[in-house]
Amino acid sequence: MPVDAEKEITRLYKALHSAQDEIGKTYYRWRKVALEFAGDNVKPLDVALRAAEVFGKDIGKSFLPRMNWLKGEEGFMMILGKALAGLWITDGGLATAEKGENPGEIFIKCTRDPWPTWAKEFGVSMEEVALCRERMYQSVLEDVSMFMNIPLKIELEKAISRGQGETVMRLYKTE
Amino acid sequence: MPKTIFEWDYSDYPGAKTYPHLFKPIQIGNLIIPNRIKYTATEENLNGLDGFVTDQGAAYLAQRAKGVVGGLCFMQGVYMDEARMGQGYVGQAAAWDDKFVPGLKRLADAIHDALAVAGIQLMDCGRVGAVDVEYGHGPSAVPQRLRIFRPMKEMTKDEIKAMIQQHVDAAKRGVEAGFDIMEISGIVGYLVSNFVSSYTNRRTDEYGGDIRGRMQAVIEIIQGVKAVIPEDMPLGIRLCAEELLDDVRGNTAEESMESYKIAEEAGVDYISCTLGWQESIYPVISRDIPMGNWIHLAKRAKEHVKVPISMAYRLFKPELPNEKIGAGELDIWEMCRPMIADPLMPKKVLEGKEEEIRHCVACNLCLARLFRDAPMTCYINPICAHEANAEFADPQPAEEEKEIMIVGAGPAGLECAYLAARRGHEVHVYDKRAEIGGTLNEARHAPYGDDELWTCVEYQKVMCEKAGVNFHLGTEVTEELIEEEMPDSVVLATGPIYPGLAVPGGDSDKIVYLADVMSGKADVGKKVVVWGNRKPGIGCALHLAKQGKKVTLVGKDKTAGFDVNPSFKWRYYIYMRQNGIVAYNDCVIEEISDAGIVVKTYDGYRWPINCDTIVLAQREPNESLKKAVQSEGIELFVVGDALIPRNLSSAVHDGYRIGMRI
Ligand SMILES: Cc1cc2nc3c(=O)[nH]c(=O)nc-3n(C[C@H](O)[C@H](O)[C@H](O)COP(=O)(O)O)c2cc1C
Ligand code: SF4
Repeated sequence: MPVDAEKEITRLYKALHSAQDEIGKTYYRWRKVALEFAGDNVKPLDVALRAAEVFGKDIGKSFLPRMNWLKGEEGFMMILGKALAGLWITDGGLATAEKGENPGEIFIKCTRDPWPTWAKEFGVSMEEVALCRERMYQSVLEDVSMFMNIPLKIELEKAISRGQGETVMRLYKTE
Repeated sequence: MPKTIFEWDYSDYPGAKTYPHLFKPIQIGNLIIPNRIKYTATEENLNGLDGFVTDQGAAYLAQRAKGVVGGLCFMQGVYMDEARMGQGYVGQAAAWDDKFVPGLKRLADAIHDALAVAGIQLMDCGRVGAVDVEYGHGPSAVPQRLRIFRPMKEMTKDEIKAMIQQHVDAAKRGVEAGFDIMEISGIVGYLVSNFVSSYTNRRTDEYGGDIRGRMQAVIEIIQGVKAVIPEDMPLGIRLCAEELLDDVRGNTAEESMESYKIAEEAGVDYISCTLGWQESIYPVISRDIPMGNWIHLAKRAKEHVKVPISMAYRLFKPELPNEKIGAGELDIWEMCRPMIADPLMPKKVLEGKEEEIRHCVACNLCLARLFRDAPMTCYINPICAHEANAEFADPQPAEEEKEIMIVGAGPAGLECAYLAARRGHEVHVYDKRAEIGGTLNEARHAPYGDDELWTCVEYQKVMCEKAGVNFHLGTEVTEELIEEEMPDSVVLATGPIYPGLAVPGGDSDKIVYLADVMSGKADVGKKVVVWGNRKPGIGCALHLAKQGKKVTLVGKDKTAGFDVNPSFKWRYYIYMRQNGIVAYNDCVIEEISDAGIVVKTYDGYRWPINCDTIVLAQREPNESLKKAVQSEGIELFVVGDALIPRNLSSAVHDGYRIGMRI
């Protein structure tokens, strides 16, 4: 039976997007459970940020085998930036890493992100979405900084509105 | 006067004439070593979980002690802290208390029984340690690159002092146990190397900073140990000549040489030249690295220090170390894996019996087992780690002599043949091919060192000849032949079958067999699909990619190389990437057309791949002749890939086990 390329690609594409959709929603379902257990005295944003930290820490460990100084500082920062952008893409976003004007400065730009939409479905603020991504990336960088002995920082410069515009994060070396 | 422990005279041995530099004495500190051979410290996970020496461990070492023919034989590195942060392997020997001395003495005695020089190694595994506790310890808490290792805690100054004292106390126990020479292990990411490396030592106190500061803890260990061991007991250290950690800003080669000089100044009597870390991204000792690749580092070391330099690392044959010692570029030939694979390797060299050596094939299964908390096993040597078990180590003559027909002269059949013949059976090996070696005849053409696998067959051939095995090559075994010969037992070692593809287009003339491709008999187009993602398929894919073909690997296993041990598999993944080979795993071939094939994933996605040739490398057990043997009521054994397609190791181990029981 000849392969119907359109049919195969459509099936794959749908499967990928529904998997991403489910993963996003599962996160918010779990967030609800965590808040129930946490009780009324705990701020939801604190719980979400703590979760972002835990995710980031674990993801950071998986970055370490790929860290490589052989291409020098510029090369290293770009590889790292691409890895962070890649993480966003896996999460369903459309992200890129671009070299900034200052040495070793990288901008990670996301022009399309499904997370604010999922957040809305679960009544979660867009601000939380943006802060969580920032915290997750900061937490990824903790182990990377220690591992490479380079103080690295990442900051949210501009947050995306619901599915529109561009979120920009600045990755740089503090020294 | 330097001390001599045992006198050896090699003058009458042929090997001493062929390799004169290997069999001449050397003075290390105040001790004379009769030759230039050293069995290096080797963890084998054979000790009790509590660190006590076992019968298995003692028997393992006793064999290697015989092998060094009067040279240096080291026991594995011992851990020295009760908290077990320094313990890297579940079965590592301990020396943190006097209660371990009797066990250590057993090992020293076993080495002395073979008239060899007994060495003990002190090894806190540092970053690679804490196998059974929550945290590892080190100069700084640098996160682990490899997830299998524990998170790290930075040592306080008091903890560093305590660690140094643990080395001193363990050294005293080594002396009490009767060892003749002592060594500090500073290799591959263990604690000493963690202090020395700029990658893992970020301290700003006196134990960190520049290379001198990073060596401070090592200096204190050396001086502390020196102070408690006798004058005629040499102390050595294993240190990295190159860490191969440039990608994470480890030491430069100059810093490494500086560490050698500092260790010499601190009082070591020899340095064992090592390289690479567990965390290095470069391969160091696997089969894809040519033998002798690293020997230049010994020369470099000798240019920087005056104490003797010993070195291992892919020195699997005596020629090169003999030459380098003769040229003054090396002093002592170290071996680890060559003597795991054949404990008597240097003895055979001395006796002029090199053709009887079972050569290590640098697969690193032995290492892979250690990191999975399993007792060591050798891919090629079925006796390894069974030395205490007489059934394995010294198979007895059979109670009843049988006439045995072995069908297949591949590694499984040959292994079984010589052992069964040695035990008194009359053994006849048949093969329809005109030569021995089975599928290895073709498999050895795969790139990245697979030609070394052939050493297995060369060894088995010699063993078969010595044991009086009868060969009937170029003879296909049929039901009629079995009926005619009516042997007492039949061993089917026929190798696997490579079934065709029962799919539309399965009779396509694009399809060729693995063996024909590897031997160059088949016409192979520019675009090739290799069906079967285990080792034979990978070897074939690499072989073809090296000829400039565009190769796609398709297979049923979830990952490619399911049958390759993890310590080697990562090499194949890199080579596949480098050679542009795409692997579709967890897939089947659904259809073959003029244009190529259609691949289908386990969950039903399909896509076409253009190709001119499809290579069948997917294996199945070989059932042929089984019924014929059984219907005659003849005792039947099936070994190797004919039983279940696996790897060379399984063939050898199967063959040996049946050979010792039949
Ligand atoms: C199974 C295994 C265990 C080892 N255990 C030790 C050890 O306890 N101490 C040590 O200094 N090196 C250890 N090594 C490293 C070897 O001593 C040696 O340096 C390395 O294998 C390279 O030499 P080769 O090519 O002769 O095997 C071990 C190596 C292997 C394969
Ligand atoms: S397991 Fe492999 S690497 Fe280790 S000694 Fe045996 S053949 Fe050599």
